[in-house]
Amino acid sequence: MTPSSPLIRLESIRKTYGPVVANDNISLDFSAGKITALLGENGAGKSTLMSILAGRTQPDSGRIMIDGELQKKFSTQAAINAGIGMVYQHFQLVEAMTVAENIYLGRHDRFWLSPKRMIREATELGQRFGLQIDPSARVDSLSMGEKQRVEILKLLQRECRILIFDEPTAVLTPQEGEQLFEAMKFMAAQEKAVVFISHKLSEVMAVADDIAILRKGAIVDDIAASEVTSEADLARRMVGRDVLLHVDRTPLEPKQVFLETDGLGDAVLKDIRITLRQGEILGIVGVAGNGQKQLVETICGLRPPETGRVRILGLEWNDFFRNMPWDAALSYIPEDRQGLATCLGLDLVDNVLLTTRQGFTTGPWLNRGKAEQKTRELVGQFSIRTPGTGTTAARLSGGNLQKMVLAREFYRRPRVIVAEQPTQGLDIGAMEEVWTILLKARERAGILLVTGDLKEAITLCDRIAVMFEGRIVDEFSTEDSEKLAQIGLMMAGVPSGRDGLSSLS
Amino acid sequence: MSVLQIKRRQEPLFIWGSCLIFLGAIVLSLGISSLLLLIQDRPPIQGLVLLFQGAFGSRWALEDCLVKAIPIFLCSLGVAIAFRLQVWNIGAEGQFALGAVGATWIALNFGTLPAPLLIPLMLATAGIFGGLWGLIPAVLKTRLRTNEIITTLMLNYIAILILDYLVYGPWKDPVSFGFPMTEVFSDSAIVGSIGATRINWGLLLCVVFGVMVWVFLRFTRLGYELKASGENINAARYARLPYERLVWLVMILSGALAGSAGFLEASASLNRLQPSIMVGYGYTAIVVAWLARLNPLYIGIASYLLAGLRVGVEHIQLDLQVPAAFGGIMEGLILLTLLAGSFFNHYRLVIRRAP
Repeated sequence: MTPSSPLIRLESIRKTYGPVVANDNISLDFSAGKITALLGENGAGKSTLMSILAGRTQPDSGRIMIDGELQKKFSTQAAINAGIGMVYQHFQLVEAMTVAENIYLGRHDRFWLSPKRMIREATELGQRFGLQIDPSARVDSLSMGEKQRVEILKLLQRECRILIFDEPTAVLTPQEGEQLFEAMKFMAAQEKAVVFISHKLSEVMAVADDIAILRKGAIVDDIAASEVTSEADLARRMVGRDVLLHVDRTPLEPKQVFLETDGLGDAVLKDIRITLRQGEILGIVGVAGNGQKQLVETICGLRPPETGRVRILGLEWNDFFRNMPWDAALSYIPEDRQGLATCLGLDLVDNVLLTTRQGFTTGPWLNRGKAEQKTRELVGQFSIRTPGTGTTAARLSGGNLQKMVLAREFYRRPRVIVAEQPTQGLDIGAMEEVWTILLKARERAGILLVTGDLKEAITLCDRIAVMFEGRIVDEFSTEDSEKLAQIGLMMAGVPSGRDGLSSLS
Repeated sequence: MSVLQIKRRQEPLFIWGSCLIFLGAIVLSLGISSLLLLIQDRPPIQGLVLLFQGAFGSRWALEDCLVKAIPIFLCSLGVAIAFRLQVWNIGAEGQFALGAVGATWIALNFGTLPAPLLIPLMLATAGIFGGLWGLIPAVLKTRLRTNEIITTLMLNYIAILILDYLVYGPWKDPVSFGFPMTEVFSDSAIVGSIGATRINWGLLLCVVFGVMVWVFLRFTRLGYELKASGENINAARYARLPYERLVWLVMILSGALAGSAGFLEASASLNRLQPSIMVGYGYTAIVVAWLARLNPLYIGIASYLLAGLRVGVEHIQLDLQVPAAFGGIMEGLILLTLLAGSFFNHYRLVIRRAP
């Protein structure tokens, strides 16, 4: 490999969304033959940067150079022309078509298709880059790892020179992950520039040549992988020692137990034991895909526990969910606001009614007038910005939609609250509001806060449980600064302990 | 070279835009129909004039339309309830047949009862028969995850064969000279006409059921739950809506309404059961439900218009000697152009020069 001029050079890229600075003064080079890792917590600005590279978002200021040439307007078309390709977490494949058909989808060069030729070319392409796959297999019969290979082949077919992987291992098994890393190295060896976005430290250490660390939208470190001494070193560089957003949290005296699991397990979860009392917030942190979703769905009654037990407000899982009252029980604030928590095609009143309908029912009749009045109250109380209560939920911005869900769920005066990434996508002002609301709500309730945002967990929680591969690897008080320092490592699956962490303390 | 691109509209079209699309679709489908007439060497303009005259040109025609609109309306009201929940009940035809069978069974066996007792009994039995016929695919869907489009459609054929079996076999009128039909119902089993018109009292039933469905969908908790579950099934799961029971409920209601239409046709229009009772109202009902966007009032209007189309086409058929299938083709064309047109409510086409 010869060190050449970078394929892409970013100079002082800045992007703001209202008062939020997503990317601040970012300068980076991506060179052929190198694997560059972009490391950062959720909300550090990785997605914005990626979206700028894909030409979907225009930076407010800064310069983008391709092959040393300044790009005036970097559109999606320009990104494609420059040979930039993205492998997203959600695959963009046609499930009912074969591998070869997917790879050559969208090629306009000739009118007639030749299945034989497509299969031959797909096979050759796979061999050239060490991505073996059966080109005539239907995509819906493939594993996640194989599907990802199809995505990569799609880009290689287009002769992309820069391949950007967005958290590519989130959906893979460890073995598939290993294979992916081999393929990445193979691609780099063939003069492709590989960009690897992740927050898993061990993977970054294993595969990257260069590591760029993003924190609060800025590059805080841009170093060669050889300069990193240990994962602990990397963890410290990633999490930093930032001042927390300020909210007052005076610990309350925990009262009776509201939620309790014992030996809870299924295909993903392994022996989960948690206890949640009134007056406390228990944080569940971990890299996405380590069982948080399964745990939340079980506790919220969407999937029955396979082994072990769950007791909510003194009742067994079955008894609790058979006749769950609409109020003073359990509220679930899901991460997926648009797909799960709301009906986007219905208006705000109907959306408020979704989980509170029993409260507005007399006999068979639904008292919509009363519901509308309540909705108007909630809109005022939570300062939801909307033209009126008759507006469809689809017209609300992400932050306002989230506030609507929160307003509805708190109106139920829950005793157990399960909040999943409650501040994701909110601006700092709204974030602080939500935090204050949650802290207030714990006077009545026990709150399970599932979050990928460590800052949020540390600010709000009394205790934190770290999940990795379906287990709770450790649970500790947020007063325990020694453990707190190790969270990043625990999330990455490194067992906690004093060894190798001397550099942190 | 120019490329045609599809762009999503930021805002859905306003009312006048939708109206324009609606009119455009109607004009387009009538245009294609005239072309079809032209291909068959029939005068297209005269054909369209005949169509309108036949449907709406005389008191006789208007009454005829209303008589035909009654069963279409009831079937359509039924499928619209199921469509609310995004349950695709294509089985109104079969549920209609079973309703007719149920009503006939009562009429043949209890014909001596007085009308005030017999008529409600026939209506109730028709509703139960139709409703149970609708429940079958509902249970199959929720328990075995079968696709209700397929099962409801297949059950139509079975229902029609049951009806055929009965009128060709056990229920055949011994003095019908071998024609497949039951004997004429007794007077007390016949729903009469309103005053001097040819319109039967089923019209009143339509108004009553129409209002009931409207109230049900709009003001009851169940109606709300249907709407929400139909909108987003994941949200329904999240909000613990009883989805399975809702599917059963809508299919029973849907089938019962179609069944009541079968009762009216047998009792008021034919005064007996015979295979010619099956003229495809159950399929027209699907078109109507979509045209009316599942709104009960619009269903009334659309039922009347499509009944008019049927009557009008019969008229052209006689005067211009076009095949009977022409009506079906026109019905299909109207639905297709309208559905294609509704695409423009959310998208627009842009012509862009390729780089």
